[in-house]
Amino acid sequence: MQESKQQPEQRETPQLRGLYSKVKISVRTLNIIIVVLVVLLIACMAYGISKGGFRVSFDTQGGTPVEMQSGIMYGEKIEPPEEPTREGFAFDGWYLDPDGTVAFDAASDPVTESMTLYAGWREK
Amino acid sequence: MAENKLKAKEQAFKELSSKDKTKKITDLLLNNAMYIIIVLAVIYISIKVPAFLKLPSIVNVISLTAAKLPIALGIGGCIVLTGTDISAGRVVGLTACISASLLTTTFKVFPDMTSAPPIIVVLLLIIVAGGLVGLVNGFSVAKFKLHPFIVTLSTQLIVYGIILMYLMRGTNNGQTLSGLTDGYRNLVTGTLFSIPTATGSVAVPRYVLYSIILVVLMWVIWNKTTFGKNMFAVGSNEEAANVSGVNVSKTIIMVFVLAGMMYAITGFLDGARIASANANTGLNYECDAIAACVIGGVSFVGGIGRISGIVVGVLLLQIIFTGLNFLAVDANMLYIIKGLIILIACAIDMRKYLVKK
Amino acid sequence: MEKQTASSDNKNVLLKMEGICKEFPGVKALDNVNLTVKAGTVHALMGENGAGKSTLMKCLFGVYNKDSGHIYLEGNEINFKTSKEALENGVAMVHQELNQALKRNVMDNMWLGRFPKISKWCPLTSEKKMYDATAKVFEELDVQVDPRTIMSRMPVSQRQMVEIAKAVSFNSKVIVFDEPTSSLTEEEVEHLFRIINMLRDRGCGIIYISHKMEEILRISDEVTIMRDGQWVATRPAKELTMNEIIRLMVGRELTNRYPQKDNKIGESILQVKNLTAQYSLLKDVSFEAKAGEVLGVAGLDGSGRTELLENIFGIATRKEGEIYLHGKRVMNRNARESLANKFAMLTEERRATGIFGIRDIQANTTISSLRKYKKGPFLSDKLMSESTEWGINAMRTKTPSQKTQIRSLSGGNQQKVILARWLLTDPEVLLLDEPTRGIDVGAKYEIYQLILDLAKQGKTIIMVSSEMPELLGVCDRILVMSGGRLSGEVGANETTQEEIMTLAAKYA
Repeated sequence: MQESKQQPEQRETPQLRGLYSKVKISVRTLNIIIVVLVVLLIACMAYGISKGGFRVSFDTQGGTPVEMQSGIMYGEKIEPPEEPTREGFAFDGWYLDPDGTVAFDAASDPVTESMTLYAGWREK
Repeated sequence: MAENKLKAKEQAFKELSSKDKTKKITDLLLNNAMYIIIVLAVIYISIKVPAFLKLPSIVNVISLTAAKLPIALGIGGCIVLTGTDISAGRVVGLTACISASLLTTTFKVFPDMTSAPPIIVVLLLIIVAGGLVGLVNGFSVAKFKLHPFIVTLSTQLIVYGIILMYLMRGTNNGQTLSGLTDGYRNLVTGTLFSIPTATGSVAVPRYVLYSIILVVLMWVIWNKTTFGKNMFAVGSNEEAANVSGVNVSKTIIMVFVLAGMMYAITGFLDGARIASANANTGLNYECDAIAACVIGGVSFVGGIGRISGIVVGVLLLQIIFTGLNFLAVDANMLYIIKGLIILIACAIDMRKYLVKK
Repeated sequence: MEKQTASSDNKNVLLKMEGICKEFPGVKALDNVNLTVKAGTVHALMGENGAGKSTLMKCLFGVYNKDSGHIYLEGNEINFKTSKEALENGVAMVHQELNQALKRNVMDNMWLGRFPKISKWCPLTSEKKMYDATAKVFEELDVQVDPRTIMSRMPVSQRQMVEIAKAVSFNSKVIVFDEPTSSLTEEEVEHLFRIINMLRDRGCGIIYISHKMEEILRISDEVTIMRDGQWVATRPAKELTMNEIIRLMVGRELTNRYPQKDNKIGESILQVKNLTAQYSLLKDVSFEAKAGEVLGVAGLDGSGRTELLENIFGIATRKEGEIYLHGKRVMNRNARESLANKFAMLTEERRATGIFGIRDIQANTTISSLRKYKKGPFLSDKLMSESTEWGINAMRTKTPSQKTQIRSLSGGNQQKVILARWLLTDPEVLLLDEPTRGIDVGAKYEIYQLILDLAKQGKTIIMVSSEMPELLGVCDRILVMSGGRLSGEVGANETTQEEIMTLAAKYA
């Protein structure tokens, strides 16, 4: 009944189901899109690499502020930050978590990602 | 034999006209663009940071690959069915939280408990939990013919809500779960074997072995069972599968349940690997897994995909991101790069199977 | 050069298609086809199913790219890329399958893709302009439809009128009607003919595709007949008779197109009683089939032939009716159950419901009989490749290897793979829906041979086909369907095409 059913089989146009079944774009256009995306990807990588460097920020949790350090490469160590002060407390070192359970030794531990260090305080 | 084949191919290539030659080369370049970029990136990175190709870094890449493999193996099945599963990451989070709350020494979520239940019981429990989420997904997709994206979007939200409520239980008050038992941590992250190097030794964690077992298991399921064959049939032509006597609904449900179980195992491994679990554990894992599948040739047209492809996909993705981390690329930029990689992988996949008119 | 002759020879030539060729892998769909439509005439395009009529039209509208040939519209060479482009250049088509947005109203559908703007400066669409323009076209065509009616609330015939009105509203010079009367009542057909006559008098060129001889002879000025993708003849309609058209359409002797029938008919093993479908027009069909028999099912398109097979096989919902195999009632509620009851069905639309295009031959062959290859919980590769090998040899499938993707095979070979798939399930009753559709003549012969071989092995074969000569050449008995009901049963050796046609029109 339907004329469309009478079409001879075509090898190149199988009835593919799935997400691309209705894609009408030409291969040429797609090629251009792929090339553009690849260029964009490489540009992003190049930009990321050129601006490379991790940021280490310091959360003194109530103490005097400590300046953020940036541009630290993989495996490098941060410059020892100046110790913050807080009234009524003694500085206890830097920690990776706000609760002060995992310590970070700025002098020996290498940086492998951007992070925030939290100051640990001990009551005087 | 292989040499002859290669020679024949070379011969055939030489016989082509120059126009066909350029076309062939373009095809080759574009269809493999992803791999070419990654290889180039790896070469660049290893020149800039020689440590990248040193043993510790390689072991690190392999372990991270192993940690992310199970979830990709699960999602791979959903993609073969022309679907997807975006609830995966949250299921990982839920199961990681359950494991971390039970196999702990502090019992903040269950203050009444005093000792951790046997690990195997917890493992089975979370596999059932993951399977249940998969069942909901699969049932909705199979019976209501809803698009997997919508179904898994809603289960993702529901699971997230459950995680948050679960973490509020007892005395935990929504905080990160830590203080895991040594038995649990050891089972997952304990040393499988160590490779001695000049500056000490590099330990390969146990979960690498578990991942390998899962890969083998999934390979057998995909290639050697009726279920696997049916899955590919449903993925490539659901109507034809129905007419051919395949139980389409059952197949779809089983694929999603199996996927849910794989996420659960990922969660179990992740809890111990990170040594803690919170509401954000597993966040965006599905993105990496889907990207890995597409890079590995599991196509959105359905019915196409190999386990080996998924393994390669996860590995390549891990290599490039570890590498970029070595170059200290900003984490925010990594998201953009990841998104672009998925787009390119999809475009290449589309190019391969595009209907030519 | 050609262009000049085209325009100078006869001034009133509107559309000229010259030497159109189109080849699909394995099938030469169009071979050097010519078609000339003059302004102010109705040109009928005739041919059997698969003769290439719609392929030709799709080449005109840019749905397919033609391999070679030229198309001239009013002397200028054209090569439309999309049907939108065709429409804008005054070539319109009234499709048999209506592609309409059913949830929207009539005028939305009429102006879809070219909604009139309120003014040049205001890009909002103007409902009023749309309404007025629609009403004007309707008035011209004498169509009594409110342009604000929602499409889905109208009968198919009126929806078709909307489609025609849309073509007219483009000021089309060439309008193609593809089987326009198949869903119309007699009265509506008269109305349609009035419209067509009016368009002709305006100077339009009409291409009219239909199977109905009476209509063709009544309405058309010229007739072009195609067969197997080739142009056969173009004659003034006045010089043609119905028999002449049939002779030109069929054009070949029946004897050598079909293998020798030497199957032995056994006992009656399958009884179908009062089969009525829930969601289609199939109503109260009863028949029986014997072992070793090839039972044909004839009928016009939409007469319920496919629905009959689908209901027997359980992939369509049954309302009433019983099926007995060997005197035992079988339920066949779904394909799995039917499979277990030793039924098998080759579906009509091979691409949509038959093949797994991107899977290889082995996967396509073994999918229905997987349980046979189980060794413990796993499937045995060896058994599967043995079975596939058997299928390839038994069907004489031409394929490089078992691992070839099925979509790279020709239609005939794909069909053989699917046949092998079903034979591996050891069926007793084979339901074949258009087994030779879209297959080359040579491959058709092989399929016929296979069907007869299977009958010889004692299997019962029920075969639906639109090609009457095929049914007459292969079947033992032929059931004729009409309007969802069984209108007759004839012996293939005693009947004629005319008798079947009469029966097929009984309830239509």
